[in-house]
Amino acid sequence: MTYKMWHRCCFLLGVTTEHHYKIKHNIKVMLVDENQERTVPLTQVLSEAGYQVIAYISDMADLNKEVARLNPDVIIIDIDSPSRDTLEHIAVASRDDPRAIVMFTHDGDTEKIRSATRAGVSAYVVGGISNERLKPIMDAALARFDEYRGLRLQLDVANNKLAERKVIEKAKGILMQRRSVTEDEAYQALRKMAMDRNERLGEVARQVVEAAQLLG
Amino acid sequence: MSVKAETAAESGPHNPQRRNFIRMSVAAMGASAMMGLVPEEVRTSAWAAGKDTPEKTEVKIGFIPLTDCAPIVVAAEMGFDKKYGIKIVPSKEASWAGVRDKVVNGELDAAHVLYGLVYGVQQGIGGPQKDMAVLMTLNHNGQGITLSNQVREKGVTDGNSLKRLIDNENRDYTFAQTFPTGTHAMWLYYWLATYGINPMKDVKTIVVPPPQMVANMRVGNMDGFCVGEPWNARAIFDKIGYTVATSQDIWAGHPEKVLGTTAEFVQKHPNTARAMIMAVLDACRYIDATANRASVAKLISSKSYVNAPEEVIAGRFVGSYDNGNGKKWQDPNYMKFFEDGKVTFPYLSDGMWFLTQHKRWGMLKTDPDYLAVAKKVNQIDLYTEAAGQLKIAVPKDAMRSSKFIDGTVWDGKDPKAYAAGFKIKA
Repeated sequence: MTYKMWHRCCFLLGVTTEHHYKIKHNIKVMLVDENQERTVPLTQVLSEAGYQVIAYISDMADLNKEVARLNPDVIIIDIDSPSRDTLEHIAVASRDDPRAIVMFTHDGDTEKIRSATRAGVSAYVVGGISNERLKPIMDAALARFDEYRGLRLQLDVANNKLAERKVIEKAKGILMQRRSVTEDEAYQALRKMAMDRNERLGEVARQVVEAAQLLG
Repeated sequence: MSVKAETAAESGPHNPQRRNFIRMSVAAMGASAMMGLVPEEVRTSAWAAGKDTPEKTEVKIGFIPLTDCAPIVVAAEMGFDKKYGIKIVPSKEASWAGVRDKVVNGELDAAHVLYGLVYGVQQGIGGPQKDMAVLMTLNHNGQGITLSNQVREKGVTDGNSLKRLIDNENRDYTFAQTFPTGTHAMWLYYWLATYGINPMKDVKTIVVPPPQMVANMRVGNMDGFCVGEPWNARAIFDKIGYTVATSQDIWAGHPEKVLGTTAEFVQKHPNTARAMIMAVLDACRYIDATANRASVAKLISSKSYVNAPEEVIAGRFVGSYDNGNGKKWQDPNYMKFFEDGKVTFPYLSDGMWFLTQHKRWGMLKTDPDYLAVAKKVNQIDLYTEAAGQLKIAVPKDAMRSSKFIDGTVWDGKDPKAYAAGFKIKA
C-alpha cells in the first residue's frame, strides 16, 4: 500500500487527507500489563512521543469491556500476556474496526523480536525502551495497521463498484423494457438524469430499480 | 517424501537401497499397507540401526495448562523421549496466540495445540498464512460447556431451556471460548446452533484464557463458557456454575488437541518429528492405562503444569462426572489418549471437519480444497512409520464416520455440501 493508493482510497470514500492526519496525531493508546509499575516509563515515553495514553489495564481486567468502552486506536500488550487470545478474538470478530496491536517483551531479545515481527500481525517493542527506539517501532506497527485498513478499504471500494455496476445493468433493463429503447439509449437516459440531478449514476440507477419495484 | 528425507536416508551408514525402497514404497502405496508386508526384522532393524538419528536432539514443546497437556508432560517426565534419542523440554505458555507465534517463528519446535488453530494458521485466518503439520492427535473428549448459577436460577437445565431464556429475556447473553479458530469455539457454536441459537447473532461471544474462566464467571462477565478440563470441574468445585453439556455429548470421540508443528520443521527434521511422535505415543498409551491415571493426575496438577488441585483434575480424568446440578454418572467417553491408536491417528476427516466449521461460521470466505489441505497438514505417513515401530495398529481408512448431537453424520465424503448444509450459519 503506497501513500498514493491510501490517499486515493481516502478520496474515494470521502475521507480527506487532513482528517487522516488528524487521526494519526491523536492516537489513543491502551496499555495492557499485569505489572502497573512497569507501565510507568512506557507511558512517559509514549506521551513524549506524542501519543495519548488513555488507560493501563491489568491483565485480569475484562478486556472485552474495556476495549469497547475506551475504543483505543492502538493496544500495547506484553508478549507473554494470557490476554492476547482475547485481543485475537476482538480482532477477528470486529474486522470493520481494526486496531493495531503492538507487543512488547521485557527481556529485550532482539532476535526474538525480529522473528516475531516477520511472523506478522504485530510489532514487538522492547522493555526499557528509549524514545528513539520506540517511535520507529510504533510507526512500523501503525504502518502495518494502515496497510491492513487500506487493503480493506480498497476491497470495500471494489465491492461497491461491482454492486453499482449490477444495479446499473438492472436499471438499464427496466428502462429498455418499459420505454422500448435500445441499451445505449437507456444508458444515455440514466446518465442524463444523473447529470441533471447532480447525482451519481449508481444512485440514479438504484432509484430507478426501487421505483420500478414500487410500481410493480 | 521430501528431498531432505531422501538425502538423509542415502547418507545413512549402511544399506541405503533397502531404506530407500521402503521410503519410496511407503510413499507410493500408503504406509499402512506397506508396513504389513515388510518382515518384522527388516522393520525394526531399519529404524534401530542409527540411520534415523534425530537431526535435532532437544525439542521444546509448548503447552497450555489443561488436563490434556498430559502426553507432553508424561513423555518428558517419564523419560519416554530418551528411548527415541531426543529430549523433550515442555514449555508452559500463556496464550494460544503465543503458542502459534512461537511455533511459526521456530521458538517452539512443536506444541500441544487446538486442532482448529493449526488449520486456521494453514488457511491464514486472522494472521499470516504458514504451512503447518499435525503429527498426531493427543486426545479425544474431555471438554465442556458451563453455565452460570444465575442462568440456573432462571430454570435452564439444557439447550432448549437456554434457547427459551435467550428468546424471552431482553438482554445480551455472553459466552466465552478460548480462541477464534479453536476447538472450544467450534464446540460452543455447534452446541448453541443445535438448539436454534445463532452464536454469531443471538449471543455475544468473547475469548477468555482458560485459567481465568472461573474468575470471570464469578464476577458476572459471562453467562456460559466452553473450555477444557479441569476448568469446568473447577467451576463446580468453586460453586459458581454447572456443566450443561460435555464436548463428548456434542461429538462422542471428537478430536481435541494435536501435536502440532510447521511443515518446515517436518521437512528439516523428519527423524526428530518421528521420534517425537513415538515418545508421545508411548506417553498416550501409558496415560490411557487405568492403573496409571491417578498418578498422572497428581503429576500434572503441579504448579509447573496445570496448577489446579489434584481432586479437581482426577474425577473427570477417569470418567467420573458430576454436572453440579444433581446428576452424577460414569461417562464411557471421557478424555481418551490412546485406545489402541484409534485416538492418536490423525484422521483426514477430523482435520477437514474444522475447515467445514471455519467455512460455516464465515472465517473462510470460500470453500478450500478440504481433502487436499488435510492431506498436506496431517502427517499420516510419518505417523504410520512411528506407529509401525511401536507395533501400534493404524486404521485402514483415513476417514471415519461420526454422528453428532443433532443427528448429523460427518464422514468426510462431501465436505462442501456438509459445510453448506447447516441451517444456522454465519
